[in-house]
Amino acid sequence: MRNPALESDPPILLLENISKAYRGREILTDLSFSAKAGNLTVVYGPPAAGKSVLVRVLTGLEQPDSGRIILRGQDLTHEAPAERNIGYVPQSFALYPHLSVRANISYPLDLAHVPASETRDVVATAAAMLKIEEHLDKKPDQLSGGQKQRVAIARGIAKRTDFFVLDDPLAGLDFKLREQLVDDLRALNSATGASILYVTSDVIEAMTLADELAVLAAGKVIEHGSPETLYREPRNLGTMALVGFPPANFLRGSLERRGDETWCATELFTFAADVPSNAPPSDVIVGFRPERIHLSHRTGNQDGANGRTLQFPATIVLREDLGGEDIVYLAASGESLTLVDRDHYLGDDLDQQATVSIYPHELALFDVTSGERIGSGLHVSAIDYQSTEIQQPIVQSYQPRTTDVV
Amino acid sequence: MSEIRVEQLTKTFGALRAVDDVSFTFPSGQVTCLLGPSGCGKTTLMRIIAGLETQTMGAVYFGNQDVSRLSPSKRNVGMVFQYPVVYRGISVYRNIELPLQSMKLSKAERTRRVEDAIQLLGLSASANLDVSKLDNGTRQKVSVAREVARQPQFILFDEPITNVDAASKLQLKRSLKELTRSLSQTIVYVTHDQTEAMTLADQIALMEEGKIVQCAPPRELYNHPYDRFGGWFLGNPGMVFFDATLSGGGNRRTLVSPLFPLPIAVDGAAPAGSDITIGIRPEHIHVSTGPLPGGVPARLARKTVQIGGQYLVALDVDGLGDQGFKAKVAPTAGERLPSSGQVHVALPLDEVSLFDSHGIRIAASLHPADASIIV
Repeated sequence: MRNPALESDPPILLLENISKAYRGREILTDLSFSAKAGNLTVVYGPPAAGKSVLVRVLTGLEQPDSGRIILRGQDLTHEAPAERNIGYVPQSFALYPHLSVRANISYPLDLAHVPASETRDVVATAAAMLKIEEHLDKKPDQLSGGQKQRVAIARGIAKRTDFFVLDDPLAGLDFKLREQLVDDLRALNSATGASILYVTSDVIEAMTLADELAVLAAGKVIEHGSPETLYREPRNLGTMALVGFPPANFLRGSLERRGDETWCATELFTFAADVPSNAPPSDVIVGFRPERIHLSHRTGNQDGANGRTLQFPATIVLREDLGGEDIVYLAASGESLTLVDRDHYLGDDLDQQATVSIYPHELALFDVTSGERIGSGLHVSAIDYQSTEIQQPIVQSYQPRTTDVV
Repeated sequence: MSEIRVEQLTKTFGALRAVDDVSFTFPSGQVTCLLGPSGCGKTTLMRIIAGLETQTMGAVYFGNQDVSRLSPSKRNVGMVFQYPVVYRGISVYRNIELPLQSMKLSKAERTRRVEDAIQLLGLSASANLDVSKLDNGTRQKVSVAREVARQPQFILFDEPITNVDAASKLQLKRSLKELTRSLSQTIVYVTHDQTEAMTLADQIALMEEGKIVQCAPPRELYNHPYDRFGGWFLGNPGMVFFDATLSGGGNRRTLVSPLFPLPIAVDGAAPAGSDITIGIRPEHIHVSTGPLPGGVPARLARKTVQIGGQYLVALDVDGLGDQGFKAKVAPTAGERLPSSGQVHVALPLDEVSLFDSHGIRIAASLHPADASIIV
């Protein structure tokens, strides 16, 4: 696992081996990760991965069963929430309906008996950043959902601190509104220089916001790094499955030795694999991104990109138009695949046949048991896919299989 | 089979004009999506058509018949709501058959209609199952099948996919797509989800603040929005905009912008004023590490991975002030860009839209100005 905690700069936040169970069920399991000062660090995971519990442990609403929380170099594991000096924006925007927007934002400061002049300044700054200045004297019920959420964020950031936790603050908002607020949150991070820990289950939001991304699955951080690195070079099957939209495609495969080479056979194609030479014949998972497969509508064309791509027939289940790109859902030999296409091919119809191609080096191989990445398909330049002997298994993929259920 | 026509339809709730003087025809036998942000009036408009809401002013016609005063049950309209409406404890088959029993149909006709609907929605495997045992998506298919079997003149859908769990969304979308193709009924489909609208509609009626701003087939709406709102609302992210000024007069005007290395000649309908907005879809902006023909230098501030491995690139160009903008770059091109620093951008002229000072798109063609036009 990549762990920036091991790098030189001391992190602002360091979680060490945090575990937390409820009624004997482990929610967080030996979770470790760190956040760099000044960064916007995103903890991203599917529902029920343990995100909410992580937030509760971090803000002090729950005690971990074991492990340590180090914030600003200090062990805060057993400190009360109020002692941690964390700005916190909860998931649901619980605003006080009887208070004005201004009073809602300043509420935590008033509780802390911050002088009125300072409170005025802090509220004004927060309101300006979130573009809600003209609403300060309104009551929450006079605001739209997006405005209310801005007020909630403003209340969270109206705090003299260098560390904020935002718990999925954009969940449930309109997609156009989220687009805008994501930009605002980035600007907020640059303007204040504060460190933000942002928790979300939306992968595009995670990849758009994050300087660093921690992928949470089943109570553990399975991988941590820049979003681009995690997307392009996942070291873990879970990372490839979770980071990216639409989700990556996966096939079962098996490795076999052919002389000096290792080949991988799947239901759709067979290819030379670039794996350690001592890799034993075994079952693997083959993963590939939806944008790395290509459609050709001339079915039966076996040429592809000068014979160097793996090809297989597929049936179009549905083409979805997102405006800038299409998502095409395919069925091929009983497998469901997803493809992203920037060319809006309008001739596609439901159940139409097409030929799908992919370069072998776009295929990632994962160990079926550990989920660790063990290699990839061999780059086309490294092997003569045109030689008849080697082409044999590729050509096989054109043959209709008895297992076809499309 | 007939069209739905609304004339000068207005609905007010207190001071709010939820539907504001809308005159519009939903063409016979077609799927029209009412698309817009929450609060734009799309659901209210649909509820008035169904008779579930009474208009403040105006009229609703089914074909030539004025139905403005008819109760919902007399309008012969099918409706599918956000949450599936099913009778628990009985089978899928019975759920679809139940409303037909009050319709004085022969037993044979009833059976035929139920079986056709089951076939059309792909429910054969679950026909005899209790609906309580089904997931939300399949239940919603049952709601749809029940309306289909009744064979009303019109079927109205109110965000039927929104509350269906992610796993069954694809199947439901596909079923709706198949359905809308094979049905001959006039369909009105309300959604806030542009992908759904772009995927299912014959035409999209885009709504903003109680009005239908534009109605066009999906790709046409996307490529040629009537106004800035349409450009912004559709797309992920939407169109990016830049302030600009037209100089010169008559039909031979020149556009000068820091986005173009040389002046651009603008042919076509000239706007009244000279203050205009340049709009372009982020996926149409070319970004490169090397100089581009017709391009200018730019600073890349940040790049992030988006849908399908594409890169969203935040850019600044000298002279644009604080109007930073974003481009959406193909995966392979985006990988080659630095994470920040100097790049080059070019806006292909045939992808550039111009909007007048009211935000309305100007019909104009752009091409590099030759020296004789430059004033």
